[in-house]
Amino acid sequence: MRAVAVYKWSRATASALVRQDGEVDWGSAKMAAGDDDPAVLTIAKELAGADGSVVGLTIGDGETAWALARGLDTAYAAPQVGPSPDNAATARALAQAVDQIGEVDVVVIADAVAHPGVAAALAAVLGWPVLLGVNSAEAAGGRVNARRRVGNAVETLSLPTPLVLGAVAVGEEAKPPGMMEMIKARKKPVTELAVAPPEAGVAARGTRRPDRQGARLFDGSADEAAASLVAALRGDGLL
Amino acid sequence: MSFEIWLVATAAEELPPLAAAAQSGGATVVVVAVGGRELAQAASAVGAAKVHWIEVGPGLVAEAYGPAVARLAAEAPARVWLSGPSPAARALLGGAAVAAGAALVGGGTAVSLDGQTVLVERNALDGAVIETLAADGPVAVVWDSNEGQPDVSGSASPVLPVAAPAPLAVERRSVEAAAGADGLASAERVVGVGRGVKARADLAMVEDLARALGAEMACSMPIADDLHWYPEERYVGRSGQKIAPLVYLALGISGEPQHMEGVRSAKAVVAVNNNPEAVIFRTATYGVVADLYEFVPALARALEDS
Ligand SMILES: Cc1cc2nc3c(=O)[nH]c(=O)nc-3n(C[C@H](O)[C@H](O)[C@H](O)COP(=O)(O)OP(=O)(O)OC[C@H]3O[C@@H](n4cnc5c(N)ncnc54)[C@H](O)[C@@H]3O)c2cc1C
Repeated sequence: MRAVAVYKWSRATASALVRQDGEVDWGSAKMAAGDDDPAVLTIAKELAGADGSVVGLTIGDGETAWALARGLDTAYAAPQVGPSPDNAATARALAQAVDQIGEVDVVVIADAVAHPGVAAALAAVLGWPVLLGVNSAEAAGGRVNARRRVGNAVETLSLPTPLVLGAVAVGEEAKPPGMMEMIKARKKPVTELAVAPPEAGVAARGTRRPDRQGARLFDGSADEAAASLVAALRGDGLL
Repeated sequence: MSFEIWLVATAAEELPPLAAAAQSGGATVVVVAVGGRELAQAASAVGAAKVHWIEVGPGLVAEAYGPAVARLAAEAPARVWLSGPSPAARALLGGAAVAAGAALVGGGTAVSLDGQTVLVERNALDGAVIETLAADGPVAVVWDSNEGQPDVSGSASPVLPVAAPAPLAVERRSVEAAAGADGLASAERVVGVGRGVKARADLAMVEDLARALGAEMACSMPIADDLHWYPEERYVGRSGQKIAPLVYLALGISGEPQHMEGVRSAKAVVAVNNNPEAVIFRTATYGVVADLYEFVPALARALEDS
């Protein structure tokens, strides 16, 4: 299969600074690999198999070598497309890029907690089926078998191609590449695509801190704190 | 001004918070229910004006009906679309948003109308802030709140079966229970340990406390995956067990969002951590800044005394 692995298409939550008044400052944060991006690559490679191919696709200003240091030989970048609060707008930009890449059987993209609509909207713009929350997948007779955990159950589903998979990582990346791989990756070619920056259908009106500000703390000695905690939990009817 | 909020649901439990949110915004509520007859019935009892029901055929899943939902969405006079966060519901909501030409955002906790503009409040940055977004056109929102009960005093809503176009071949091959920790799923009290516990031998002290509390033991991912102190089915979180106890007592757990996702449905989270800056204190109900090695025996004593 020919797979597109979408990576580095949003900024990392950790790079945002929240001011005292709740205002968010992203500083010069660039697009970064998300928690689920390593799983995106693993799944895309598995689906491509020995006869297929995986190309990377990234948007914005992130360093493109990330995927190239993880075994891909080709990547496409759409640097004009920045972060958007509108998942549908991001999806339209990605769909334009996928169209330009050409023959594609499967697009794998993070089913990111912070951007829960992008993968589904991307599939809708492309007109393809979609499955979200996917932990692993394999090609089977021209179709794709995908597994996902939903609640406390594990489902296996079978889908036709072309399709979009929203991937979810189970844990940290097993083996991040070393220095040498990064250096080699920076020499690999990256093709720039011309994709118009998408227009968002929502405008940000500001941020504030949540009303509930953190835990009620019990202090004093360990014994005092423990007694207060037990009393509080009893009072709530929880013990 | 009257406006319509359409809810996309694939399971009955997704509906009450969505319907409550839609009603509190003063909107007329319409449900698009994609699932079995029980779902259609549940949807007719959340105070909606009507329910469009797309029945999922044998061997298929809700995602197979993306085109059917999109076709409804293209014609729908909806100003706002809402779905729960399940993968199936989000897959359909994304399709509806694109077909309706709507903006699409996640993390929603409140929706209201300000003149002609829809205002959406949402959790952003892992809950560190609440962001307000304004939409002058239609907007679809993945909902992020379990709260709210709809007013269901009216009569049952009419259920309109949808003559759906041919579904996509998205087929379910199997469903298995994930490696089970049955006791954990139904436990009223759970004690979770993290890397703040220094040695495996120290678990005995924590397990004594758990017994005194009548609690099941759980842990963070590294305790199971890296240290193997507990089997994999004991770790809680995004990738592990989702639990809903009355009390979750987190000992030496930093409270990364991936862990906390597993205890979102707990009534109360108690955090014990010796670092006052630990992120777990932001979301926990109760907290004690303490060395767990001092606090665990103290809590055991307090339970005995009371
Ligand atoms: C894709 C992905 C999925 C993940 N899924 C999960 C998941 O499902 N579940 C999960 O748990 N994690 C998951 N993780 C890992 C998660 O991000 C955290 O790394 C992990 O939860 C941290 O575990 P911890 O709190 O035990 O350890 P740490 O983060 O190391 O925290 C230990 C805490 O103990 C405190 N401490 C130390 N000594 C003491 C003491 N004497 N007394 C009191 N407190 C003390 C410290 O202050 C610290 O806060 C996932 C990660 C990724 C990337």
